Formats: sequence, structure tokens, C-alpha cells
Amino acid sequence: MGNSRHLGLMLLAPAGIFVILFFLAPVVLTAVFGFTNMSTATGISGGAYVVSDSTMLALKERYGEQELAERLLRKSYVIDEAGLQAALEGGAARPTVEELREKYLGASFGSRREVERLLKKLYNRPAGIRQIKKIAAGFERSVVNVRYDTPEALLAAIEGYGITLTEAQKEALAEVSYTGWVFTAQNFKTMVELPDTWRTMANTLFYVFTTLILFNTGFALVLAIATHYMPDRPAGFFRSVWLLPRITPPVLYVLMWKWLAWDNGFLATILEPMGFAPRNWLLDTPANAWTFIILINGFVGASMGMLIFSSAIKAIPQPLFYASEVDGASRWQQIRHIILPQLRWPILFITSYQTLSLLTSFEYILLATNGGPGGATEVWALATYMKALNNYGGALQYGYGAAMSLVLVVIGVALSLVYLRMFNFKALTESPKIEQ
Amino acid sequence: MRILLENFTKKFGDLTVIDGMNLEVRDGEMLALLGGSGCGKSTTLFSICGIHRIDGGRILFGDRDVTRTTSQERNVGVVFQSFALYPHMTVEQNIGFPLKLRKEPKEQIARKVGEIAEMVHIEELLQRRPGELSGGQQQRVALARALIRRPSVLLLDEPLANLDAALRLEMRSEIRRIQKETGITAVLVTHDQVEAMSMADRIAIMDAGKILQIAEPREMYENPVSDYVASFLGSPPISFLAGRIEGDAFVEPATGTRIPLRPEIAASHGGRAVRLGIRPEHFQPEGGIAIPGRISFIEIQGRETLFDVELPDGSVIRSIQRANDAVRIGDEVRWGIDHEKILVFDENGLKI
Repeated sequence: MGNSRHLGLMLLAPAGIFVILFFLAPVVLTAVFGFTNMSTATGISGGAYVVSDSTMLALKERYGEQELAERLLRKSYVIDEAGLQAALEGGAARPTVEELREKYLGASFGSRREVERLLKKLYNRPAGIRQIKKIAAGFERSVVNVRYDTPEALLAAIEGYGITLTEAQKEALAEVSYTGWVFTAQNFKTMVELPDTWRTMANTLFYVFTTLILFNTGFALVLAIATHYMPDRPAGFFRSVWLLPRITPPVLYVLMWKWLAWDNGFLATILEPMGFAPRNWLLDTPANAWTFIILINGFVGASMGMLIFSSAIKAIPQPLFYASEVDGASRWQQIRHIILPQLRWPILFITSYQTLSLLTSFEYILLATNGGPGGATEVWALATYMKALNNYGGALQYGYGAAMSLVLVVIGVALSLVYLRMFNFKALTESPKIEQ
Repeated sequence: MRILLENFTKKFGDLTVIDGMNLEVRDGEMLALLGGSGCGKSTTLFSICGIHRIDGGRILFGDRDVTRTTSQERNVGVVFQSFALYPHMTVEQNIGFPLKLRKEPKEQIARKVGEIAEMVHIEELLQRRPGELSGGQQQRVALARALIRRPSVLLLDEPLANLDAALRLEMRSEIRRIQKETGITAVLVTHDQVEAMSMADRIAIMDAGKILQIAEPREMYENPVSDYVASFLGSPPISFLAGRIEGDAFVEPATGTRIPLRPEIAASHGGRAVRLGIRPEHFQPEGGIAIPGRISFIEIQGRETLFDVELPDGSVIRSIQRANDAVRIGDEVRWGIDHEKILVFDENGLKI
């Protein structure tokens, strides 16, 4: 027994590794990333402390330290041992170097011109203007675009150039100069503040529920019930036809819709003689775009519900239909009182399953309108994808994208719970009280 | 209400299941359609209630021709073999369903459901669902639902087949009681001759889509039209002996036993090969025309014992007697055939 148990575990181990690696880890990482400001700029590994144009901009904007920022960006010149050593190695005369060390060690200057002027005035003046420029360049000291591993190293370097900072300035500088990612709830604040967020959310709800009600559940029910009352052969044919969109490759399927809707496509061609100017019917107006998006998704989505509902109707014992007929039920009453109550569980299943699947699916929208015209059909999943993984400018906001997908997860779970309650899941799974 | 089938024909595709059947169910009687599986009895029932369209002939309820009407318009009550209760409705909703469909007021439905529930003894089960009921209770609910809108006819399709033996006995008399109480015309479809004989006023026995005989149970038992009918009725079943009529008697070839026949039979079929039908109760140790044989099988049934007596040529006559332990398998016996009660069938199986 013990052996077989180990064997089972061993056989399951590869699957377990894949589950953790490809299912669990991404979810956990998404949740973690959602609370960071990770982006192309920060990278995904740790960062460094750098004074740069962009960090100084942040210093100005966030802390109002305009003066400090400008000073840090400016180059400064310091007569120090390193500079003197460099001058010696660069071919400067030893007396010149000695004179500089004696008179000016530790002095700092705001520009190279000042250093050059100083060198010219020396008793042991370097020979030639080229030599002067070279020595002066050796004293140039700047923190700009130098990567420091710790904030202390950066601050020490700055102080080394004669800039003294207050404690508040030190803190501000340490924060703005960090180039790596940090944990923050800023993503969610931004999300709430941006008007685009609310528009995308409204788009998503409209897309999901319209497609769901009209097609994935509604039309699927109509198909299943209609084919139930049809003779077997035409019913089978009809059902197969509605499966075709499902088994057509999405790219080709959407391409066919585009051919239908393009400004030189089928619709435009047949409508032109009737006085409609050729136009891209798909992207012409938001209403058109939505119509196509819902049709494209609905035709694909209806097939699954149709199959589930059809088999559920088939599972209803034939005598129930006979009994309801002799009880006087019309077709409509039969649907209303016999079929629909028996379909409760499949309807719950399809509704919740398709809600989740519609919430996260954006491939047909991406292929058809890519969110257009002007973001009118951009849904949450598409926006998330764009933010995190496919930004036109190349600046990918992993953290913000992860935060957006977290919202999707929360909505999905919440909706599932609502459905379970609505369809009285408990009563459905209750065991019968049989008495004999 | 009287039901009349005239020249009723039903086909499934190319297969003609029932060809030109005529049948009258009298007002207020219970008629059993009895036959083996595939004989067309359920097809007939489903045609009467309108679930099946018929391919020829007419169906009349009273004087009304319902041939072209749908089952919704026929006002029939049907009890299905599987009861066909709606699993998502309570007992009360199940029974009230036909009335709800006719949009009768709620209080009226509740009152009628209460009345009918009382009649079939399920008042305390009204709030349960079918899944929470035993087979017998489901049966009663199905009956109540069939009866609630006072149908013109009640159709019962193998109503007892899904019940266990004890319940079957109870529901047999219950259904009969309720049918008598309501005075409704009823058609009972069954393959069980005991059910048919014990419940029905008349039996129509069917084979291959044809009605072989319609008669009251006793008449049909004692006076079957053919060997098929004779063998269908009675448990344990009738035994047959093949032989020939010589002079005024039937001669059993294996033993040479002569069994005297009524003169008119002997006269009309002299010299012909015939078969004798002997019911087990008419083959007893005492009296009658003795015939030698050997006990080949004994089945103890408690109050009664069933014996198979094998004749030298291998044919078997069954005998049912009050519990009898005196004989054993292998014993040679000379038991008597009650020649007054025997049935005689000609070569075609028809009773002479």
C-alpha cells in the first residue's frame, strides 16, 4: 500500500510542478506585482540610486526642491587628491601639481572656466592651453548619472562635493533617486482617479452582460429549445452549423467579419447602390463597433450553452413531456413549467462560466477593433493587456497591469458568489429525504 | 364517457403497428388492454390520449370525434408507468398543475387539490417533492393529478409495474376503488393477467396489434377463443396435450388414455388432430379421467403446491393442489383430468 501511494505521488509530481509553476505562481506573483510600481523603467530586479534628469524632475515636483535639483545637476570641480594624481599621470609637471596641492587642495568651483583661470594664474603654470584644459577636466566631479548601490553612498558623494543637505532633503533625495520598484498602493489610487478606468469598467460590464444575456445564455436557450422541438436530422444539422464559429480559428473568423465590414467589403459593396456611402462599418461609430463585437463574441459563445442546454433537455424523461401535454400544457407552458425549471442548474453553470470567460477574454476585440474607435470598445482585460504587456510607446507598466487584473479576479469571484446565491445552490445540492 | 375506436390504424414509419382496430370502452367501465410487450397496447393508449397521431380511422369520446384534436384538448387523465411527476414541483403543485394551466383561481385549485388528496390518502404529503416520496405515494400523486380536472377518461399505462409486490396488491384495489368512486371510464394497459383480471370489468387481449377477444375476466378465463388467450390467462398457466379425436373421445397418444368429449365436438372434428387445454386446478389426485405419469417437479407455494407431471412422451400437465407433501419427485401417479372442464383447440389454435 505504502509503495503504491508513493508511486501515485511520484506520478503526480510533474503535474504538480507544472500546476505550481504555471497556474499558482502567476496568480501569486500578479497579486504581489499589483502592489508595486514595476514598469519598464524600474525593471523587475532591484534598482540603484541615481541623480538624473527624471529623478530631479520628481524632486522638483514632489518636494519643491528646485534649487537643490539644479545644483545637483550642475557639474562641479574639486581640487582633490584623485584629480591631482590624474594630472600627474596625464603628464602635468610635478611643480604644478605640488603648487596646486599646497594652495588649493579642497577648493571647489562651479565651472571649468574658473578652474582654467586658476591654472593660468599659477606660478608653475602648465605649458599650453591644451594641457590646461586637460588638467581642468580631471577635476570635474558630478553625481549625475552615476549609479550608487545605497542611498548612503550617494549622499556621501554629494556631501563630498560640498553640498550639504538637510535631513528632509536627504530623505527626499533617497526616495526620488531610486530607480528600482517599490511596494505601493499607488496603482489603485491612480485607477480610481483616472476617468478612463470608469469608462473601461462600464464598457466591460456592458460587453459581458449584453453578450451573456443576448447570446451565451439567451440565444443558446432559444437554439436548444427550438432544436428540441425539431425532428432529429434538421436539429442535428442546425446545431452543427452553430458550432462552426467555435471551431474556426479566431484570427480567420474575425478576418471574415472584417471583410464583411470593411469600407470595400461586402456590406459596403451591397449598400453603396442603395445610397449609403462606403465606410468601415466596423469602426464607423461606437454603436456599430459594439454591435459587431457582441455579434462576433455571441456567435462563438452561443454554441457551448446550446450543447449543454440541449443535452440537459434530452435528459428530461420523455413521459414528463407527455404528462404535461395531457395535463393541457401548450408549447410555451411546457417550456415555462417543464423545460426551464429543469435547466436551472445548466443555466447557472453557463451563466457563471461564461461571465468569467467573457470578463477575461479580449482576443476577438483585440483582433476586431483593438478597443476602437477611440477606446469605445476597450474592455478591462484588453486595457490590462495594453498597460502591462503591449504599450505602443514601449513603456510597460507591469505593476499597474497586475493591479488591474487583480480587480478582474475580485469581480469574478464576487459575481460567482452572487450567482450561487441567486440560483439557490444549497437547495440544488441538498440530498433528498427518501422515505420508504 | 364511452370511448370508440373505429378502424384505428397506427404506423411508425413503414411499420404498421395497429391495422384497422375496432374497440368500444363502455361508459364507466374499466377495460384492460392485456398483452405481451410489443403487442400495441401502449400504442393504443397513447393514441387515445392524443400523444400519438393516428394514421387512419376515428376516435370518439361519447359522440365527439377527437381524432384531430391534440392531447391538450381531449381532457384525458393519464397515469404513466414511471408516474412522470414533475420533480421540481411539490406534490400540491404537481396535482394542481392541470388547473394552473387553465388559470383557475388559486383558492379554487387549493380546494380541489385538498379534496382529491383526501380521496387518494395523501393529505399529509402535499408539501413534499416527488423525490421524497415512496413508490406507492408517487403512484397516488400521479393518480390525483390525472383525476383532478375530472377528465372524460382515465388512462393507466402499466400503473403497477414500478411498484414492489406488496404495494402492487394494495394499489390494485386502491385504483379500482377510486375508479369506482369517480365512475370514470378507464383504460388499463398491462402485461400482467392477474392485474387485468382483478381490476378490470372487461379485458381486451391483444397480440400483434389485433384484439383477440374482449370479455369479462371470468368469461375469458373459462371460455378463451384460442390457445393463446388460454395460455395468457391463469397462473400457473394452462397445460396442453396434443392428440387426436377418435370416436367420442380424445386419445392421448403416449398413454392411450381416452378422455370423453362433448358429443358436438367429437362429431364435428372426428379423426382430427387437436390439443386439449387443462388448467392446473382441473388435474387432481381424485376424480376425473385418470392418466399415468411421473412427478418431474414440485414447487411449494405455502398454501398450495404445484406439481409437474410428465407423461411418457415428455409432455407435461401441471396440477395445483392444497399443500401436499405425500408425493415426491420421481413418484409414479395416476391423477385425474376433469373432462367436464377441459378446453379443446383445433390445429389453428382456435377453441372448438
